Amino acid sequence: MNGEDLIERILREGGKQADEVEVFYARGASISAEIKKGILGTAEESEAWSMAVRTVRDGRIGFSSTGDPDRWRECLDAALASGRLATPQQWGGFPRPAGMAGTASSSDPRLVVAVEDAAGMVDDLLAGAAEHPVEVVGGSADLARSYLTVANTSGVLYGMDRTAAAVSLETIREQSTGYEFDASPFRADIDARSVGERAAALAARSLGGLEVETGRYDVVLSPVAAASILGQVLFPALSGRNVKAGRSFLADKVGEQVFDETLSVYDDPFAPGLGSTAWDAEGVPTRRLVFVEQGVLRRFAYDLKTGYRYGEGSTGSAVRSGGEPPGIGVHNLFVDGPRIKEPGDERAVWIHDVVGAHTANPFSGDFSVEIANPFWIEGGDLVEPIRTAMFAGNVFEMLRAIGGFGNDARRVGRLTIPSIRLNNQQIIGK
Amino acid sequence: MADVRYYDIRSVRGETTQIDIDNGVVESAGTSFFDKAVVRVLGPKGWGILTRDHVDIDSKRELDGLVAAAARLAAVTKDDISLADAPRGALAVPPLGEDPRDVDLEEKTRLLAGIEAAARAPEVVNTRARYTEGIDAVRFLDSGGNEYSYEAVRSGFSVLAVASRGGVMQMGSERDHIITGFNLRNKQDLGRKAGEVAVSLLDAKLAKGGARRAVLDPELAGVFTHEAVGHASEGDLVREGASVLGGRIGERIGCEGLVIVDDPSLPEFGFIPVDAEGVAVRRTEIIQDGVLAAYLHNRETLAAVGNGIGGHARAEHGAPPIVRMSNTFIENGDAAYDELLAECRDGILLIGSRGGQVDPGRGVFQFNAEYGYLIEGGETTDMVRDVSLSGEILSTLHNIALIGNDRKMSPGYCGKGGQSVPVSDGAPHLLLEGAVIGGRGE
Repeated sequence: MNGEDLIERILREGGKQADEVEVFYARGASISAEIKKGILGTAEESEAWSMAVRTVRDGRIGFSSTGDPDRWRECLDAALASGRLATPQQWGGFPRPAGMAGTASSSDPRLVVAVEDAAGMVDDLLAGAAEHPVEVVGGSADLARSYLTVANTSGVLYGMDRTAAAVSLETIREQSTGYEFDASPFRADIDARSVGERAAALAARSLGGLEVETGRYDVVLSPVAAASILGQVLFPALSGRNVKAGRSFLADKVGEQVFDETLSVYDDPFAPGLGSTAWDAEGVPTRRLVFVEQGVLRRFAYDLKTGYRYGEGSTGSAVRSGGEPPGIGVHNLFVDGPRIKEPGDERAVWIHDVVGAHTANPFSGDFSVEIANPFWIEGGDLVEPIRTAMFAGNVFEMLRAIGGFGNDARRVGRLTIPSIRLNNQQIIGK
Repeated sequence: MADVRYYDIRSVRGETTQIDIDNGVVESAGTSFFDKAVVRVLGPKGWGILTRDHVDIDSKRELDGLVAAAARLAAVTKDDISLADAPRGALAVPPLGEDPRDVDLEEKTRLLAGIEAAARAPEVVNTRARYTEGIDAVRFLDSGGNEYSYEAVRSGFSVLAVASRGGVMQMGSERDHIITGFNLRNKQDLGRKAGEVAVSLLDAKLAKGGARRAVLDPELAGVFTHEAVGHASEGDLVREGASVLGGRIGERIGCEGLVIVDDPSLPEFGFIPVDAEGVAVRRTEIIQDGVLAAYLHNRETLAAVGNGIGGHARAEHGAPPIVRMSNTFIENGDAAYDELLAECRDGILLIGSRGGQVDPGRGVFQFNAEYGYLIEGGETTDMVRDVSLSGEILSTLHNIALIGNDRKMSPGYCGKGGQSVPVSDGAPHLLLEGAVIGGRGE
């Protein structure tokens, strides 16, 4: 049975036992060429298939998923059984077919999932790295194509293609390491040679760093460091589920000036990006959502379940990973602000990346992390490497006063963010 | 197939049951199914690997087709990989106390709700509990005729409490996962503890950053062991030149009496009866009496690097095996907890873990405690929050001043190369000199 026939069958069979049924079906193929110690060591090809089923009966939502087509009936039964245990809630139905507000930009018709192309990208990564005196430790080039479908008993049947090209490289020189990466739906966006060169430059230039004394310093977070620290705290704080559950620092602050008046945060599902989509993981049309406008908190993100429960309505923010039930997320989140002054003009500690961002406290916003590839920056140039140090602060507090945004915005996962200057921050030397 | 030097296939078919209760609401409670297989072929040079859903491992025709396809992938590789011989054999899986499959979903949900409810204390604004159960049927076979199958059953939960007062939000969380049966009965205490910690932290101070003496509790000392030593001793990182421990076998890297072990054969949460390449598992002493003694290996890194034994290859279902830790710990010393506090005199006691991370090439690690107490005059005083610790692998183990005698293991999950596997880590209480504490207190 092919995917479409199976979807039809599950909707029909499930519809006999539940008020509503939804099927989310994904299949995909990917290729990965992996570098081990400077040489292409492993070539991997994957094919994946998954089907997730939700049933709703009297406001009770059931869920199950399977990676085995032969177990579809067991999966449907498990979803129905799960629904019997779920707490009933306000429910207004799965979406009906609707017009889309925009077009997704997440698929590259020219991207071919071929091992030869991935191997070519590996050659480019290595050629870039060869521009500096470093060893290549590891890395990879990945190409993927997937097809997603959402269908429900209200008549929705949407399908979309997604593609992804990604490269990464890890280098070392003595005890100085460098890591760089890039990912895009579009093969032509990926300049593997440049990624390799930058990974190597980080390791080469970070050698022989100076000690830094504990104290207060102006810092510039690169887009990578900014994405690591902000992502850990901002994503959960904007989720409507966390807001309503009392787990978000931003709850009850809509309309307030929560951040610096230059800072805006918005989700643009139609911008080119890995999360670009015209409908969300529940088949709700997506739209551009402004969460923070010039520092003022405007709204939170909701999926159907949380939206119905609290009378807020879905914002088209449902996302899924693998065979998991849908949850609230973002598609292409932008952290942005006007470029008035170059963040690295006046002397500051520039931080390329951080170690341990996931240990930040997502509720309070407090973090203390080890910094990676820090440099003194002056006149926009990285002038001297710093050996190592810790950086401690609070995400919500530090975003209240921003010293400038760089012209270097880049995509880091589902976040697009420029470098950010933050004055008077706590650095702990050794 | 002349260009196939070796192949293996590992399939994991199973079920995952998850229950999520948030503020008393059963958000979801149900079971999902998976069936993943990974076929690896070692060609003239390196590996070709295929991942598929739903492979009939008993079909010779299907297997031959997959091996041929993986061999075509292997043909583009350039690395000269060879595999070391390693002893074979599988341990018996520890018997289950109560089989979680004998408990219906309704009872599981009720028990989890009891743990979640226990976390509700005055000033707690949110409680959340999650149950996770995995039943994996694992099958392995290779071109040398080795064949193993076993079943792994995991059952456990986590509980989180968030407390709030006057704009300050703090959290307490507890978890417990086991491989020896159903694990939700009589666990309300852990829910209660999560609630109490969250509320106490509302009054905790911010820790002041800087170098000082620190006492680590067994859970945090376990994470320290895992981050500071475990990852850097993984043979793949050593082979790739990505570990500061490379080339240092026989070198003193820690204090006298320090013994650090990884042992996949222990019946703790990181237990495996046989590794993901069909190699027998046994204890590896990474550090003996302060001296680096061995790395953790799979067959490939054992051949390339040496110094150690195989049996440390692990894989998440649907992913190729890589070198991983299992149950990693510091052996007991002889100092009592009170001696550690007295010897510390003035410093900080760090408790529990919010996780950690390491850059093994640079030799720098970071991890975060759930909370702590100041130690003043050998006594614990004020509670502190949001405190992390960082250090350098090559110097930090010399800074262990005292090793306690009260080792305890804690279960968790470890991520590497995009794969997450169950592990446990542990240690007795440790006293560290000159620990670099990251806190934003002034």
